[in-house]
Amino acid sequence: MTDKMNPDEFDALKGGPVPAARDAARERALAAGMAAFAAQQQKKTVPTKGGALGARLRSIITSLKGNSIMDLRYPLGTAAVALLLLPLGYQLYSTTALTPGGTSPTTTVAAKPAAPEKADDTSALVDKATEAEVVPAEQASVAPVAPEADAVASAAAVLAEPAPSTLPVAPSPAGSVVVSRGVIAPQMAQESMVAGKMMAGTPAPSVMAAPMDGLSGDSFARFEEQRLKVAAEEPVSTFSIDVDTASYSYVRRALEDGYVPEPDAVRIEEMVNYFPYDYPAATGADAPFKPTMAVFPTPWNPKTELLQIGIKGYVPPADGVHKPSNLVFLIDTSGSMDEADKLPLLKRAFGLLVDQLGDEDTVSIVAYAGSAGVVLEPTKAAQKARILGALDDLSAGGSTAGAEGIELAYRLADEARVADGTNRVILATDGDFNVGIDDPEKLKDFIAAKRQSGVTLSVLGFGRGNLDDATMQALAQNGNGNASYISSFREAQKVLVAELGGTLDMIAKDVKIQIEFNPAVVSEYRLIGYETRMLNREDFNNDAVDAGDVGAGTTVTALYEITPVGAGGALVDPLRYGTEPAGAAPASAGEIGFLKMRYKLPGSDVSQLIEAPVTPDLVYGDIADVGDDMRFAAAVAAFGQKLKGSVYGGDMSWSDIAALAQSAKGTDEGGYRAEFIALVKTAGLLKPDGTQDKAVDCATDSCPEN
Amino acid sequence: MGLTAAGAGEAGEALTRALVVRAQNGDAEAFGELLAAHYDRIYRTAWKWCGNRSDAEDVAQDVCVKLGSVIAQFDGRSAFSSWVFRITLNMVRDMQRAGKRRGRHVDAYAELAPDSQRAEQEDGLEHAALWAAVRRLPEQQRDAVLLVYAEEMSHAAAAEIMGIREATVSFHVHQARKTLRGLL
Repeated sequence: MTDKMNPDEFDALKGGPVPAARDAARERALAAGMAAFAAQQQKKTVPTKGGALGARLRSIITSLKGNSIMDLRYPLGTAAVALLLLPLGYQLYSTTALTPGGTSPTTTVAAKPAAPEKADDTSALVDKATEAEVVPAEQASVAPVAPEADAVASAAAVLAEPAPSTLPVAPSPAGSVVVSRGVIAPQMAQESMVAGKMMAGTPAPSVMAAPMDGLSGDSFARFEEQRLKVAAEEPVSTFSIDVDTASYSYVRRALEDGYVPEPDAVRIEEMVNYFPYDYPAATGADAPFKPTMAVFPTPWNPKTELLQIGIKGYVPPADGVHKPSNLVFLIDTSGSMDEADKLPLLKRAFGLLVDQLGDEDTVSIVAYAGSAGVVLEPTKAAQKARILGALDDLSAGGSTAGAEGIELAYRLADEARVADGTNRVILATDGDFNVGIDDPEKLKDFIAAKRQSGVTLSVLGFGRGNLDDATMQALAQNGNGNASYISSFREAQKVLVAELGGTLDMIAKDVKIQIEFNPAVVSEYRLIGYETRMLNREDFNNDAVDAGDVGAGTTVTALYEITPVGAGGALVDPLRYGTEPAGAAPASAGEIGFLKMRYKLPGSDVSQLIEAPVTPDLVYGDIADVGDDMRFAAAVAAFGQKLKGSVYGGDMSWSDIAALAQSAKGTDEGGYRAEFIALVKTAGLLKPDGTQDKAVDCATDSCPEN
Repeated sequence: MGLTAAGAGEAGEALTRALVVRAQNGDAEAFGELLAAHYDRIYRTAWKWCGNRSDAEDVAQDVCVKLGSVIAQFDGRSAFSSWVFRITLNMVRDMQRAGKRRGRHVDAYAELAPDSQRAEQEDGLEHAALWAAVRRLPEQQRDAVLLVYAEEMSHAAAAEIMGIREATVSFHVHQARKTLRGLL
């Protein structure tokens, strides 16, 4: 750039002295600006004189004379491009599965295969455009009887023949199937012909409303809400338990900051599981938990009932031998961590954790990103001062890629490995997973492989604006650990002090729950939450499939909304109960369902089974009769559904939810429930009743008739 | 990653954007904040182009008035600061053209601008010649040189503000160098 002859001739211009403006001048200028602004605002509010539409009356002749060229805002090139692209765009749009306006459940109506997709010369594009216009005209003749035409086979035929003439009796090379649909809207037919070509029978995904929150930089895995299922068709529901609580902390933080969190940030099961419940604990480490169940009326829907399943992990006796822990803190020290609610909070949080450790436990610290490397070699917790000093010395800054941060952490974990205790890496970050393995898949594999060797991983999320919730969850799930979101010191206390046992001391792993509903009693059911934890039915008995883990004293709650036969109107005739081998035991009529849980003890790779029937004596007629825990969980679920804009949430108002939670407050030792009630009220202010946006468009026929 | 720098800059940008939107919706307070935040920058730019305080203050005031009446037209296609920059340069040009007509010439031939600071006189003398020479360049060349050197912008950023192509900016700077060889 710089002339070689005079290297810095102009450089002298840099940073030349500029005398400051006089204050008087500055004030005068600002005042003048404000005055102009006010005048402009004034002008805006006073309507212009002249035509009613605000435009000045003008001769139309000037515009016809072509003088408007002066005002040509859209250049001709743009216009030409628009003319070319719009028809093409329309065609592409209408031939993809994203088209709104109804998914067709039977996609066998291949009225006219979209043959030109295959042709690749430019003339095909013209064909395509004309075809788009032709299609609606064809529909009238197709409508009454639409023979199924094999898309690929008839493609050539359609190309060869002039389209309209072939239609009344479209050729059906294969055995023709009569589809009984009265009227086929043009768009649906177009859509179905493509759908048929892509994968017959696959319903196109429904179009969701755009997430409302574009403000934060946090990212969440997308998921669709659990659908209502018909017990006669799919009597078995299988999922992995989820002990994470990150979603609730995140939602609370967002609401407290005055934002309504985006729907994908609201995972109802994590919100429900955030709160401690007083379920009866199991008696011994051999059967580390037992289920507590109850069925009671749904607060938001008078026609349905809630089936609640609660489990509480076994708490090893406190006076027993302390299991040694070997912890490696893997701490993000990138520049973005330099905020009050990130690194400083993290230091205090880990300080709390260190205070909880016994003298024989070891702690190591590895920093990544920024000042990378081993900060503290494995050190016995007896030397608390040294550990806390090392924590204090951490500082955020710089942007060095902290290569092999994670490998370093696992190497230290291996070095200090304890044979019969917890070996865990605790990753603390605000969303920057630049730990040395760039590919998220490889990172997951790495963590999963280390899990096999006995070192687990927990993830603590900090701050807002950069949080990568999806990765957090994925890593913690692969590492058999938990993902928590630390929004405040109070939260740090909850996760790292009050629930330390649950965080560190795993008592059962790969816990899966499977429920078989009795179609004679339950016509429809819906699992609330756990969208990201669903398992296939066959995964239940497959010990290789990873699932959630339960720590000491952890409570896990699952809620099903069930529609009893006769109450909401069964859609399908019930099957004869007892055809499934597992539920056969007494085949007692009136049993609502059958619960099965599989888990592995920490050291074992073979799963154990717990079974329990859901019997009618668990049913309560009135929600007021059930315990506080049950009612509170129902209130949290209602809150989550309302916050998400769920289609199943009913019309329960915020104050109803608050009242329900209030009635279930109980002793509320940690004050969490009181905080929840306050949060419901905040949400009511931010998203007043009546403005609830429906997440799913009920115009589609995929909407439930409940 | 450079998260700190980017984060701070982005935060400032976001704040400015928010203020602009509020001002466009008629929030006088937001507009006041915007002006206060940008006044110094406007003034400094004006000073560099005009070379004396009173003209720079006049220009800055005109820019403030202008902003008050046209803020609604800012469409967010470029950064707000670049937009303000363009307005400032246009104001400078308008004023200097008007000034020429009125015969009131900027102290272009003074060896030292009258209100340059005493302490830097020695240094200033040498610089003042360069500044004066640069200000006497044809408008486009002057703008290019001042944007690239005095404002320390990249050629691309200067091009955006001047509304010309990057290569043209480089050309103007090159031309300016050739012209100045005669002047200095």
